[in-house]
Amino acid sequence: MAEKKNTATGDFDAVILEILWTRLISIVDEGAKAIVRTAFSTLSNEANDFACVLTDARGRSLAQNSGSIPSFIATLPATVRHFLDAIGAENMRPGDILITNDPWKGTGHLPDVCIVQPVFFGARLVAFAATTSHVPDIGGRIRALEAREIYEEGLQIPLTKLSDGGVINDQLVDIIRLNVRTPDQTMGDIWAQVGAGGLMADRLLAMMSDYSLADLTGLADELFRRCEVAMRAAISAVPDGVYGYVMETDGMDIAFRYEVALSIEGDAISADFTGITAAQPRAINCPMTYTYAMTAYAVKCALLPDLANNDGMFRPITVTAPEDCLVNPRYPAAVSARAGTGHYVPVVVFGALGQAVPDRVMAGAGSPLWAITQTGHRDDGSAYANVLFFNGGMGALADKDGESCLSWPSNISSTPVEVAERNAPLLIREKKLRPGSGGAGRHRGGLGQDVEMVCTSERPIAMMFMAERTRVPAPGFAGGGQGGLGSVEINGEAVNHRTQHILQKGDVVVVRTPGGGGYGVAAERSGSAVEVDAARGYASDNEH
Amino acid sequence: MAAYSLGIDIGGTFTDIVAFDHASGRQMSRKVLTSHDDPARAVMAGIDAVMEMHGLAAADCRRLVHATTLFTNALIERKGAKTGLITTQGFRDVLEIGRERKYGLYDLAISKPAPLVPRDRRLEAIERIDVDGNVVVELDHADVLKQADRLVAAGVTSVAVVFLHAYADGTHERQAIDIISAAHPSLSLSASHDVAPEIREFERTSTTVANAYIKPLAERYLEALADQAAARGIATPLHMMLSAGGLTHLEEAKRVPVEMLESGPAAGALAAAYFGAASDDGVGADDLLAFDMGGTTAKLALVEGGEPRTAYGFEAAREKRFAEGSGLPIRISTVELIEIGAGGGSIARLDAAGLLKVGPESAGSDPGPASYGAGGTQPTVTDADLALGYLDSEGFAGGDVTIDLAAGDAAISGLADQVSMAPLALAWGIHDIVNESMASAARVHIAERGRDPRGYSLLCTGGAGPVHAYGVAAKLGLKRIICPPSAGVASALGLLVAPARVDRVATIGLNLETDDPAKLEAVFQRLEAEARGVIADTGLAENDVEFHRLADGRFVGQGFDLVIPLPPGPYDLADKRAVRAQLLAAFERGYRERFNRTPPDVAVEFINARLSARAPAPVPEMEPPSSPRADDSAQIGTRPAYFPEFGGFTEVPVFDRQQLAGGQKLCGPVIIADAGSTLIAGPGAAIAVMENGNIHVDLPARKQAVEGVGDG
Repeated sequence: MAEKKNTATGDFDAVILEILWTRLISIVDEGAKAIVRTAFSTLSNEANDFACVLTDARGRSLAQNSGSIPSFIATLPATVRHFLDAIGAENMRPGDILITNDPWKGTGHLPDVCIVQPVFFGARLVAFAATTSHVPDIGGRIRALEAREIYEEGLQIPLTKLSDGGVINDQLVDIIRLNVRTPDQTMGDIWAQVGAGGLMADRLLAMMSDYSLADLTGLADELFRRCEVAMRAAISAVPDGVYGYVMETDGMDIAFRYEVALSIEGDAISADFTGITAAQPRAINCPMTYTYAMTAYAVKCALLPDLANNDGMFRPITVTAPEDCLVNPRYPAAVSARAGTGHYVPVVVFGALGQAVPDRVMAGAGSPLWAITQTGHRDDGSAYANVLFFNGGMGALADKDGESCLSWPSNISSTPVEVAERNAPLLIREKKLRPGSGGAGRHRGGLGQDVEMVCTSERPIAMMFMAERTRVPAPGFAGGGQGGLGSVEINGEAVNHRTQHILQKGDVVVVRTPGGGGYGVAAERSGSAVEVDAARGYASDNEH
Repeated sequence: MAAYSLGIDIGGTFTDIVAFDHASGRQMSRKVLTSHDDPARAVMAGIDAVMEMHGLAAADCRRLVHATTLFTNALIERKGAKTGLITTQGFRDVLEIGRERKYGLYDLAISKPAPLVPRDRRLEAIERIDVDGNVVVELDHADVLKQADRLVAAGVTSVAVVFLHAYADGTHERQAIDIISAAHPSLSLSASHDVAPEIREFERTSTTVANAYIKPLAERYLEALADQAAARGIATPLHMMLSAGGLTHLEEAKRVPVEMLESGPAAGALAAAYFGAASDDGVGADDLLAFDMGGTTAKLALVEGGEPRTAYGFEAAREKRFAEGSGLPIRISTVELIEIGAGGGSIARLDAAGLLKVGPESAGSDPGPASYGAGGTQPTVTDADLALGYLDSEGFAGGDVTIDLAAGDAAISGLADQVSMAPLALAWGIHDIVNESMASAARVHIAERGRDPRGYSLLCTGGAGPVHAYGVAAKLGLKRIICPPSAGVASALGLLVAPARVDRVATIGLNLETDDPAKLEAVFQRLEAEARGVIADTGLAENDVEFHRLADGRFVGQGFDLVIPLPPGPYDLADKRAVRAQLLAAFERGYRERFNRTPPDVAVEFINARLSARAPAPVPEMEPPSSPRADDSAQIGTRPAYFPEFGGFTEVPVFDRQQLAGGQKLCGPVIIADAGSTLIAGPGAAIAVMENGNIHVDLPARKQAVEGVGDG
């Protein structure tokens, strides 16, 4: 354990810190509720694909809303600091609303619009209220993995002011509206973010008055210090060393190689991705901001899951990668499907970290997220676009089987069958666990699922797939077996899911999501667990 | 003795019996230990005791109403019937796959709630109905019987039948039920179109399976209770409290026991609304935050316009008690509740960053708080409240518990040392932090509904509610606290004021632009006829039945439904445009109210039609407090209590609640002691004892101003 003790310094003791901390969390959570209530994007209101953050005046994260998905760890505070660099605190004033969707300075892809609002207590800049949200449309090609450059992926909004001292930049609004398919909904969601940011600012100022805080620097420093001490203590408990891990994945035109060297030096941890595949002329490049978020997520899950997502937690964690590689691409790389790459990052971090603390990590998960996007015309001629999500199995742990069909590391629900059939001309004939798809082991990997659907439309449907682990399965850990492979089949034939497919009435599509890897050798699996697997048909099918 | 009503509320530990004398307004109550092996035994013992003590005759009982946590506990402890499930071919795993979403983002060891029916007892039948209710594959009668036979052979006593799109057409489910019941007449059967006829197969399956799981228990237990009450000479039929806050008859309760899961909290919310209405003097008594804080949890419910808010689904038996998403989804109408891990037994500890956390871990009743002297060493909220002088160590919990103040102080000092704080500062910190966590939960919850907390009064009940109400109200910027008489058993009173009620839902998928609104009228007329029949069967409908029509509306393609009240109808007028405009206006009004935002120009659809039918009961008058006395006779002493406004302890007058007279006014700080709880009012508070027995605590303006900045 670290030498420094977490005892009171200055004006903030364990009680007032907890009270203010609870208030800060309730402020960002209230902001989050405002976004859920007012956003049109189902990604916001059903998949929590958004985040609300308060930072201090230096752009250091104070608090982040409880439900925000791991993709956004540490990204918004970095965005705030980019604004401080680009515009300068001295050029910010009350009524300013800052906006960008720059993937390198925001969250890694264009649909996430970042809104930053400086908060003034009197004349003094004391904080920033920052939000990001996946808007319904940002222009460009829809979920096109084939994109070679960012220009194909939609409208780019540089670091700029949407409102300058309360005066809205109407030209910018017009430009956004003209470049997206759903101008009302996209701008509606941006205004929802502005509303949430304003609400957070109001609540923060009320808190500062209640507790007679002239600024937040002292509070922030104390919270950061304590979280940093806690994180460093947790890292110190991990044996020092450099732990390497290599994993191959499906890739696109070529298989991809993931490589990480994880160094534990005393109370600091650094991940170096040297050796990873070079950036690709495809939309799967993952900007560093997302790579960092996924690395920090894995470290936090393994070492200190309950710690607050604030600046202090991030300080002991550094991430490096060679320029122009898969997890650190250069502008103007295409990045829209960066999650398909980034979701592998925690798996390789676990692979490395597990060599030092094997009982803290999870075997490979049947991630990343799977999705099918369908576009076409209904029988009455009206156009529709619909997305269905599917999840694979989680990896097993040292003391537990992996959960079946659970979104990880993201957190997106599947669409109910009955709703999916309302929204699109499909008949879903089966949605079931896939026996045997969980990697064998002392603890078994979670199962993937099989979903079979028939096109019932008189008119053709265009289908695009997001699918991974159809060539290289999720790895097991500590002797555990690998998870089952995923596949996409049309009319009984496995197909190339990286390209668009046109379905006619009666065509049958089957998606099989990958299972998670096992943990420990299968021979050590308990007899009762083997019996349960057999009785319930988890290992191999029991009749049905 | 004249006519009276009896209310029975079975909790995990105690069974409360409340009798209410119609003529005098007098309440009589009795607490007995719940008899878990045979719950009816404790109920009858309690009824006997109340009748004997107060000279009540069985024949004079006009109303017998029951709420219970038995079914909820059966779900939590997984002690229901051995249940089987038959689904549409290809979908038996829907129950286990669930929503595919995590309730904890950073917890690798996360577990989905274990399905009530394991995979080997989930079988499939050959059949398929499509989204419009058309048959794609006919039900194979022989096959469904074969599956049922297999389940019976495996020893199941209850079977749920859930077919896809059964909300649109329940024919196949009905056929399956007929076939199975003909072959196996003693099986309990539950069909999804009957229990929860709503779109979304996972939630409907989860609800139907939960119903099947508790149905044999409900059938057995409710029959026994009704029989024994009748054997005692109680002629009035047994009525059951529904989660939505209304009464139904025995047969209906046995058919859908899942609707009773939240019957206890529903009674509490109704009681709060009743006490609030009784206190209406224009200061926000219509909009209440009902705050019930006990030993392990605090429950908050919103009462708006005199009625508890209704939610249209909840989660039972959460895997992680307070984590949303970790429970079994139950799609029924229910009072809207938030539950927080904050109670007298909540344990204070330090987290990894050295911040003081209070709860959700609780010392429970064994060992209990450190000051119970039963082996607890970690400081709890009760220990802090004792150290601050808010609770009296003498006669604690009616003298049932002997308080060891030294043990409580030692636990607090031990933790205080770890953070280099004075014990008193830490004790205040524990009190203040638990208040903050409750206030924060309320703040976010109310904000989610587009409302401002400052418009509400806080109605406090439970053992710890009146102790913490002042701090919570101050943090929320509320003007008034209302503390009803005998807050300990107040919730049972909700049983006696409940209306007869029926809630029904039907999935319709009506596009307001393109579909004929007359379809909606037909659906509502069907639901109203059903509801009218059930209410008539309760025998409670002395008054006219009120129908409230609602719909789950949304913009076409959006995932988020908004439940909005509809105009009364009819919707099958010749002028369809006018009807559409009326329905759309209702949706837009609801949208504006909730989101404080102009709705976009996008087509609207109604996914579900909801009907709430109620036949209100006559509301009893509360018995006024005992005859007026002079102020000083109610004051029973003083004791030192800590208030941060004074920077330390102050000698505070202590009053006996039973001796306070209507019309009496006091000025804070005061301590008002009652049998089950202690009401704390801080410096500057204006306290008024109402003629109806409620106590109002109006917070000083300075306190209210706490949240008064930045009205956003």
